Amino acid sequence: MLQINDLKASIGGTEILRGLSLTVNAGEVHAIMGPNGSGKSTLAQVIAGHADYEVSAGTVQFEGKDLLELEPEERAREGIFLGFQYPVEIPGVNNAYLLKAAVNAKRKHQGVPEIDAFEFLKLAKEKMALLGMDPKFLNRGVNEGFSGGEKKRNEILQMAMLEPRLAILDETDSGLDIDALRAVAEGVNALRSPDRAIVLVTHYQRLLDYVEPDYVHVLSEGRIARSGDKTLALELEEKGYDWVREATAG
Amino acid sequence: MKSAPLSLDALQAAVQQLPESALTASRHAALEHFRKHGLPTVRDEDWKYSDLAPVVDISNRWLADAATSSPSAAAAAAITTIRNSIEADWLVIFGGQVDAKCFDGFDQAGVRVSRLSDSAENISFDAPLSDLNLALLQDGLRIHVPKDMESTTPIGILVVDEAIASPGMSQSRIEVELEAGSTATIIEYHASVGSADQYTNSVVNLRLGANARADYVRIQDRSLAHIHTSRLAVHCERDSVFNHSGFDLGGSFVRNDIVVDLAQAGSCATFDGLYLIGDKQHIDNHTRVDHRVGPAESHQEYRGILAGKSRGIWNGKAIVHPGADGTDAEQANHNLLLSDNAEIDAKPELEIYADDVKCSHGTTVGQLDETALFYLRTRGLSKREAQQVLTTAFAQSIVSKAHSDAVRDFLEQKVAQRLGEMMQGAES
Repeated sequence: MLQINDLKASIGGTEILRGLSLTVNAGEVHAIMGPNGSGKSTLAQVIAGHADYEVSAGTVQFEGKDLLELEPEERAREGIFLGFQYPVEIPGVNNAYLLKAAVNAKRKHQGVPEIDAFEFLKLAKEKMALLGMDPKFLNRGVNEGFSGGEKKRNEILQMAMLEPRLAILDETDSGLDIDALRAVAEGVNALRSPDRAIVLVTHYQRLLDYVEPDYVHVLSEGRIARSGDKTLALELEEKGYDWVREATAG
Repeated sequence: MKSAPLSLDALQAAVQQLPESALTASRHAALEHFRKHGLPTVRDEDWKYSDLAPVVDISNRWLADAATSSPSAAAAAAITTIRNSIEADWLVIFGGQVDAKCFDGFDQAGVRVSRLSDSAENISFDAPLSDLNLALLQDGLRIHVPKDMESTTPIGILVVDEAIASPGMSQSRIEVELEAGSTATIIEYHASVGSADQYTNSVVNLRLGANARADYVRIQDRSLAHIHTSRLAVHCERDSVFNHSGFDLGGSFVRNDIVVDLAQAGSCATFDGLYLIGDKQHIDNHTRVDHRVGPAESHQEYRGILAGKSRGIWNGKAIVHPGADGTDAEQANHNLLLSDNAEIDAKPELEIYADDVKCSHGTTVGQLDETALFYLRTRGLSKREAQQVLTTAFAQSIVSKAHSDAVRDFLEQKVAQRLGEMMQGAES
């Protein structure tokens, strides 16, 4: 589904990704771990199409398409979802409005008729119940005045409504209390399916207790330094990131 | 730009040609006042950003060939559309003439409406454009809400002008009095028909008695070829409340003045405004509030969105007079620039001559938040849609504060439509 080959990317003249390769197939859950500054968030932003990052080498293919040629909105409509580390507050834009606009942008791209108001509301309330969200959040400004946990649940709600082919969740677990973490994990697990892939970008092993990954990768200095199964995450938790750095250097 | 002054001979001839009415003496007095003081120039601090040359030019052209007309079919249709869009009891001024027919349909027991050409008492002129307005005034409206009366339906005043072949110019004047304890919602709507140059000059004087409350909405929806100046003077007595929302959606050269006199203790004025300025437009909003005694409050928030090569001015002045202790004066002005060629001059002014006061002001000028744009695009919205969503949200905070349910939905659509046009214009 996603093939990243020897990707190099920089921001403001500083190279962050230095030849990263990764393959993600449908049905898989990957966890990308690594210390601060290793390039985890950069990878997520480059896949989503953030204009501030300049790709100097390498390729990114999504279902056979050259992803780097597509605008951020085209990537979204093709089925890529990025859950933001810091979801943006947009006062004055109704949460329900954005959800509906997002769902319809995708439907239009697929040649499917727009969702009707009743169907939308029913679906949104269903997904919100799963995430333990009060339906009143629909009528609030997007993330406006939301707590950290509410913002992350809102990201998962958007993901649940959009049903992406590939979901990349950038530190969705950071700053969550245990209830919010469980709710988020439940939202992610509900989305697991054989034709969908999920990439969890995370600093800690904690989330992986609830969402069990098929593969774990450790990023160091813009490259994948080590890959393994879920036991790698536990090993990391125990030995710390210095262990990977030393192992790579050696 | 150095241009010919306004022709006083032609002005005098035009004043003399107006039909005799109760207004005649006031017209001549205003003409004399105008003759002495003339129009302000860019050397006057209050006018430094808005050169009245376009006003002088069109006035001279119009005075050389003054013509009045009755509404064409297109104008009649425009009037009907607006009347049907906003639920209000509508009064109509067309081409500077009060449409007396609309008095028949005006259905608010107690509220008295009349024509200034029938009774011209207590008409004031205290500013240059107000002089010009009165000197050339064909007719105007007087609205009187008696003591303790609660006007139930909004009172709408529709000012429509039409210029098809030759340049048009007209004056509108509305004198409103809300007696003690009365309340009313007033919607003032300016529209234009025809694509020839037009200049309209509007004056509204509003007096609020003790405990009276006015919810006021002013919608300037002139064509993009239209020059428009307006002056709204408000006098507030004890414990009265004035709520104002102004919307500038059109016009080529626009200057609005709001002058609020908080004459007695306990009065409160809230005036908000939204200006949407597209390519080649110039819109200048000047506000002035005089806190003569305390305690009294004034709050204002103006927001502007500018696109293309455009110019906006916001100047908010609050004067706290000696002894006006307990004053609370607050000003905010926020601007969104969508183009590198847009210019905004924002100037908050506080003059404080009392000790125990609370005054604040804040001004911002910015562009669309790139992070928010990216966020919306990652949810599948096109760049254009994302921009429109964010600009609409910026404007919405003023629309949602409009103190009339009747106009809010209407304005939401109007604002979205105008923003769409502006952004399309900016791209091409």
